[in-house]
Amino acid sequence: MSGAVNDRRRINGPARSVEPIYTPTVLDSVAKGRSDGRGLDHMRPIYAKAGPISDAQTTASASGSAFYEQGSIRISCAVYGPRSARKPNARRAHFVCDFQYAPFACSKRSPTQSTDEHETSLWLSNTVGPAIRLEMYPKSSIDAYVTVIESDGKMATLAATINCISLALADAGIEMYDTVAACSMGLRDSQWIVDCTHQENAECSVLVAYMPSVDEVTGVLQTGKTTLEVHEQGVQLCTNVCVRVYAVICRALQASVE
Amino acid sequence: MASTEQLTFAIETFKRIHPVEFQRRFLSQDTRHDGRAFLQFRATHVVKGTIGTAQGSATVRIGNTTVVCGIKAEVSEPDVNTPDQGYLATNVDLSPICSANYRPGAPGDEAQVDSEHIFRLFGEVVDLKQLCIENDQAVWSLSADIVCLKSDGNVLDAAIIALMAAVEDLKLPQASLDPATGVVSADKAIETQLTLRKRLFPATFSLVDDAYLVADADDAEERLTTATLLVVLDDQGHLANVWKRGAGTIDRPTIARCIAEAKNRQNVVSSALE
Repeated sequence: MSGAVNDRRRINGPARSVEPIYTPTVLDSVAKGRSDGRGLDHMRPIYAKAGPISDAQTTASASGSAFYEQGSIRISCAVYGPRSARKPNARRAHFVCDFQYAPFACSKRSPTQSTDEHETSLWLSNTVGPAIRLEMYPKSSIDAYVTVIESDGKMATLAATINCISLALADAGIEMYDTVAACSMGLRDSQWIVDCTHQENAECSVLVAYMPSVDEVTGVLQTGKTTLEVHEQGVQLCTNVCVRVYAVICRALQASVE
Repeated sequence: MASTEQLTFAIETFKRIHPVEFQRRFLSQDTRHDGRAFLQFRATHVVKGTIGTAQGSATVRIGNTTVVCGIKAEVSEPDVNTPDQGYLATNVDLSPICSANYRPGAPGDEAQVDSEHIFRLFGEVVDLKQLCIENDQAVWSLSADIVCLKSDGNVLDAAIIALMAAVEDLKLPQASLDPATGVVSADKAIETQLTLRKRLFPATFSLVDDAYLVADADDAEERLTTATLLVVLDDQGHLANVWKRGAGTIDRPTIARCIAEAKNRQNVVSSALE
């Protein structure tokens, strides 16, 4: 439901609008296997491209950019920096992520989306930040702007966002310890399945952001209820899948240089 | 590299430190820096139905400029004064992901102006009465958002074409209001598309450096543009809209020339929209 505030800077629709109740066309009765035929530990196919904006001939372009697709998740990221910061005397660069959903990105527009975006921006800065050698760029700021064009599964989209930002940062030539690779898993019937879509409503999910070369985890996010053992198992499995995602990101970077 | 009298530069260096002169070198020789003729538009590609989460969508590319439009449909009560009409809100989103010219956060001046202009244009295209579900009780409210993914000049043309394509792509599920509960239910199995009153075909021309008239200016040329003229034609080839922006002046023969050229452009855009 969009409880649209009367935003004077936008063309506003009616003050209140809701989604109609959609009559279910095909019941989501996925007893065995998944709706798109994937294996339980298969990720959706990833297409990643570094530098779609930044190598353009335009004069006003980003230092680095990336376009990332995972199944039907589509994310675009532009990185500006290092550029001069507001705080001129900082020893380390100031890294900020600005995250936003395109208005049509989610299957449901909700009024909490904007607070969600703020929280996610902060969380992304804290998850991708540790990978950057901020001390190499004193008195500067590095800004990553991310827009989710299409979202499919909240945790999966977050994981994809981290991958996209890592790719864009590397494309910008910013010094990092390693590119951060992330992936998410959902728990269903006591079994962890990788990369859940929006349809595969998992009761509990876990997301891990991992730097394989230095074997360090930069972020873990869990929603839902589960036992400690199952959680640990999920994090371990997730970390293993992150290594595969990492390979994809590296290949995309290589392709952009060739 | 340097003689004592003059400096010579590598072409990329020259382009960065002296952009005006760089462009002039081409324009004064009757050509443009990307090799196009003055009134030549860039290749235009339209793909409909690119966003799965939106009821109508399209992605448009004009050269390097990429714009995606998504239309989401929700249900609401109609306005008291127009009980049989739905809503169409159009918004243009220009953010740092497309160009360093824009700041993050609330829509800036350019985005607001473009949104308003497109909103007025499309008031003629979509018949809001088609969005009525139940007179005086429930109507469709369409939110059309045009997000620029990459800006290399002439975002406005791309935005209009994207919205045009998205509206043509829009599929509304059949909706019915339950009078007892007041709840609207919709069946995705049966979908209808809108019948549009007219279709719009935009063409933008720019006066670069106050002297040269070019069509479809890219980012480098837009920086030197003193005046811009948007010409929008409808399916009959009639003028739907003429909008001049910028402080520079365009004389009347030039405007007439632009309108004539816009007719050629209309055929190209029309076939791209198919």
